[in-house]
Amino acid sequence: MKTLVLGLGNPIVSDDSVGLRVAAELRSLLSGTDGVEVDEDYWGGLRLMERLIGYDRAVVIDAIQTGSSPGTIHRLRVGDLPTQRSTSAHDASLPTALALGRQAGMHLPPDEAVALVAIEAADILNFGEQLTPEVEAAIPRAVRLVLEILDDWVPAPENAPEPDNHHHEENKA
Amino acid sequence: MSTATANKRISIDPITRLEGHGKIDIFLNEEGDVANAYLQIPELRGFEQFCVGRPAEDMPNLTNRICGVCPEAHHMAATKALDALWHVDPPPAAKKLRELFYSIFFATDHTTHFYALGGPDFVVGPEAPPAERNILGVVAKVGLEIGGKVINMRRNGHHLIKMMAGRPVHPNWGLPGGVSRGINEEQRQEVEKLGREAIEFAKFSLQIFEDVVLKNSDYVNLITGDTYTHKTYNIGTVDANNHVNFYDGKVRVTGPDGKEHAKYDAKDYREYITERVEAWTYLKFPYLKKVGWKGLVDGVDSGVYKATPLSRLNAADGMATPLAQAEYERFYETLGGKPVHHTLATHWARLIELLFATERWVELATDPEITSKEYRAIPTETPTEGVGCVEAPRGILTHHYKTDERGILTAVNLIVGTTNNNAPICMSVKKAAEGLIRKGEVREGLLNMVEMAFRAYDPCFGCATHSLPGQMPLEVNLRDPRGEVVRTLSQYVG
Repeated sequence: MKTLVLGLGNPIVSDDSVGLRVAAELRSLLSGTDGVEVDEDYWGGLRLMERLIGYDRAVVIDAIQTGSSPGTIHRLRVGDLPTQRSTSAHDASLPTALALGRQAGMHLPPDEAVALVAIEAADILNFGEQLTPEVEAAIPRAVRLVLEILDDWVPAPENAPEPDNHHHEENKA
Repeated sequence: MSTATANKRISIDPITRLEGHGKIDIFLNEEGDVANAYLQIPELRGFEQFCVGRPAEDMPNLTNRICGVCPEAHHMAATKALDALWHVDPPPAAKKLRELFYSIFFATDHTTHFYALGGPDFVVGPEAPPAERNILGVVAKVGLEIGGKVINMRRNGHHLIKMMAGRPVHPNWGLPGGVSRGINEEQRQEVEKLGREAIEFAKFSLQIFEDVVLKNSDYVNLITGDTYTHKTYNIGTVDANNHVNFYDGKVRVTGPDGKEHAKYDAKDYREYITERVEAWTYLKFPYLKKVGWKGLVDGVDSGVYKATPLSRLNAADGMATPLAQAEYERFYETLGGKPVHHTLATHWARLIELLFATERWVELATDPEITSKEYRAIPTETPTEGVGCVEAPRGILTHHYKTDERGILTAVNLIVGTTNNNAPICMSVKKAAEGLIRKGEVREGLLNMVEMAFRAYDPCFGCATHSLPGQMPLEVNLRDPRGEVVRTLSQYVG
């Protein structure tokens, strides 16, 4: 079983980078875990589908704006509300792209094995390399949720430290 | 699609995001007929402030982050702006490597647009429900094998872009005076092999267009009909023979009558292009300075211009490769001579450019100099000011930087493809709306017609905003002469 943990976002557009920040935390926590790869990417649609080729399961972490309080974490599935980057106005939505890939015979995770972890963003229109405080504070919770999802799928890595506020403080520093 | 009526406002949903979707405001006059139409998109803020104070050599890697659709175009425009900034001329091999990379990118991007975004309008059909007008609809109509071909074409392109430029989406390759690395013989052979496959794919795509669109008189009538026709100026980059070039050359402007209006170096763009601000939209309207702004109107006296694949063909005398040239000639023969002003012909023009990009890809991959190690000239001059310009898939793209003597940015200005096309997009939308709105009554099909107008330009909101759900809910507001919204319609574009 191959699992991809993928953070999506733009590193220079404020809260849009939160998926990348969560992935960065997970990269060190999951280092050495058999069958689990952590990576970062930028865009959705066909490109996101192409990135998922060859994997059996995927957790995609991304920013979202639904009107909830900033920092709220949503666990979604393919076909639920689109996250900031899980879709692209320039090609196809993720469900359409996945359907296309499967039709073309690509090895892709089934929809039920693609989990979307979406963090409610406050600012996705201003250039900047900082997250807003509420979104920054959501990172440890998002990390925990991704680990819980993975725990349901694969055995926990040996010696992997539990994410806690300590990691959060390190992250903020 | 659902409809709800309350207080004269009709919303056709779903809209899943609070902001970030394309919005069109259609203003009605006192009689309830269309007076004007404007495209509204939210704009990412503060990019210039974000850049000022940073080293200019960061720009190829920063600007490619502002757009998720054509980062390679920003990377290349920024790299060329650095050449100009440092007054350094890259060696021939560097220019060829850049153009090779850029041809691969163009072929990949045009493939995506035709099959996923613009093509479905025709291949699936303009009357088909929006939910079916997508790439799955194309596969259903053309055959299962096409899905795999499109995916392979894109994957090959991304693979080669990564091989040449370090990363598949955000290259970190361009440097003032050249590029950071070249290709060896083994890599060259792979580029050539995949390029030859890409030419076959481009020919296959043109054949689909021939079979599905050109052999259907209804579609041809739609393309050549008045609704989507605008007799504006056209702009595009040309080589020394006035043939289309995506990477470098002079900027050529031709008039609605096809005659050359101007031909200039990119660095002189401010002598030819200026921008108009309108109260109801925060997207500016670039126009030809020497012709002047007469509003959103056609004609030789209006400075409105188009910067699209169709414009590039109109602004040039031909294509620099044999197969694309043959298609170019067939294009004008079929559509009644040059220039062609039918906006929907842009889809065909895009496929001719796809063929050109793949042919140029192979030409450069088989150039004896392409594996040269002489791929960088080291800058020795003090940086001052530089303009870099390339043809992005959706229109000419200009980067303009100023620095202090240490190369620290003091000013940044970008004119992106979609902004160039703001006026003609609004004109196309207005014309489509005029045919369907009379005395305040909106006929069925308004959104479909507006979408088709809109999509032909492949507007790249990524440069101005990225806050888009994938199937972008296009929203159309009808406003009375006082600016009050009297009706809202929306549906997904995508």
